[in-house]
Amino acid sequence: MKKKQIFLFIFSSILSINSLFSNTEKIESDSLLKKDRIININKFRFGFDLSNPIKSSSNNDNFSYEIVSDLQLTDNLYIAGEYGSIDKLVEDENINFNSIGDYLKIGFDYNMFKNWVGMDNSIYIGLRYASSNFSNKVVSYQVRNIDAYFSNLVENDFETVNHENLSGSWIEIVTGIKVETFDNIYLGISLRLNKLLSDKKPENFDNLFIPGFNKVTDDNTWGSGFNYTITYSIPFRKKR
Amino acid sequence: MIKRYNLILFVVFFSLIACEKDDICIEGSENTNRINITFIDYSNKQPKSIDLNSIRGIGIDSIIEGISGTNLKLPLKVNSSKTKYLLEFNQDIDTLVIFHKTIHYYLNRSCGYISNFIVKPDTEISKDYGWIKEISIENDSIFNEEKTNILIHF
Repeated sequence: MKKKQIFLFIFSSILSINSLFSNTEKIESDSLLKKDRIININKFRFGFDLSNPIKSSSNNDNFSYEIVSDLQLTDNLYIAGEYGSIDKLVEDENINFNSIGDYLKIGFDYNMFKNWVGMDNSIYIGLRYASSNFSNKVVSYQVRNIDAYFSNLVENDFETVNHENLSGSWIEIVTGIKVETFDNIYLGISLRLNKLLSDKKPENFDNLFIPGFNKVTDDNTWGSGFNYTITYSIPFRKKR
Repeated sequence: MIKRYNLILFVVFFSLIACEKDDICIEGSENTNRINITFIDYSNKQPKSIDLNSIRGIGIDSIIEGISGTNLKLPLKVNSSKTKYLLEFNQDIDTLVIFHKTIHYYLNRSCGYISNFIVKPDTEISKDYGWIKEISIENDSIFNEEKTNILIHF
């Protein structure tokens, strides 16, 4: 009799502990689900820009590239960044020079596109802070002269200067789209409006081109850029 | 199917037109200046008018046509540190060798560089025929064309 009661007691207590444990488990998983809605790290995408290598090879320049990546933070917010390396002959109106340098851009993308179930495309706006270290090596230039009796072309053998240790920083406003064209592979295009914040100018020359920022104009500090990207998404979780 | 549709959409979006504004160097911006040569009489050191038959830069085929007057402006080589001219006067040709420091000065994107010069004291005349008696430097720096830079005595 006593034995039976003791057995029942142990059994029920195990049951109750069991149910207690299972209860807590449920609560934990609930809270995870709730958290899931705020921080939703589903995707890490990385890839590269298609336009830079094509442009650099068609212009007979050295290889230029840009690596892009983004990490999903919430449903619509991504940390995004680009790293690029440029080696390009810039042929300007009077001056030809080689622009060589690296740049890094870091910021956010915000997706504004409501996807249908099963789709994963985005139309986004974003913001970047970017900085670049570069050198602009003057190759040749045409000296401004009313008189064209002698050639006014100055080439490598006379006083062309390599302006080194230059730098610039700027802000980019980004708009773009990313389209999942194959499973986990996205094609993207983005347009960028750049606002130069500061740049270290060379002596007796100007920063006419900054890698990553592109052409710098005389009269204002705005610039523009674009990229065509192909990115691969590492699937952290299977799609529901 | 949807993904294929996306691909088409993407290709349509792909076309992008790039516009670029041309920068034009404003008329009246600084320019590369020529050397200003004044001819003076060897005996009384007063400016004296001269009729040169021809002027030719060495290494250049074309001839600068004859010039008369007391004053002559000639371009210097922007990509060298010496400029040679053959000056012909009464069928005699003397060679004027101007040694100069060439200093390029950056203006802006649309105008590019201009050149200033400093005439070096070893500027000389090689007296093949000798109609030029002497040469002297008046102002060695060429930053404008108003002042006389060198005097040719004849």
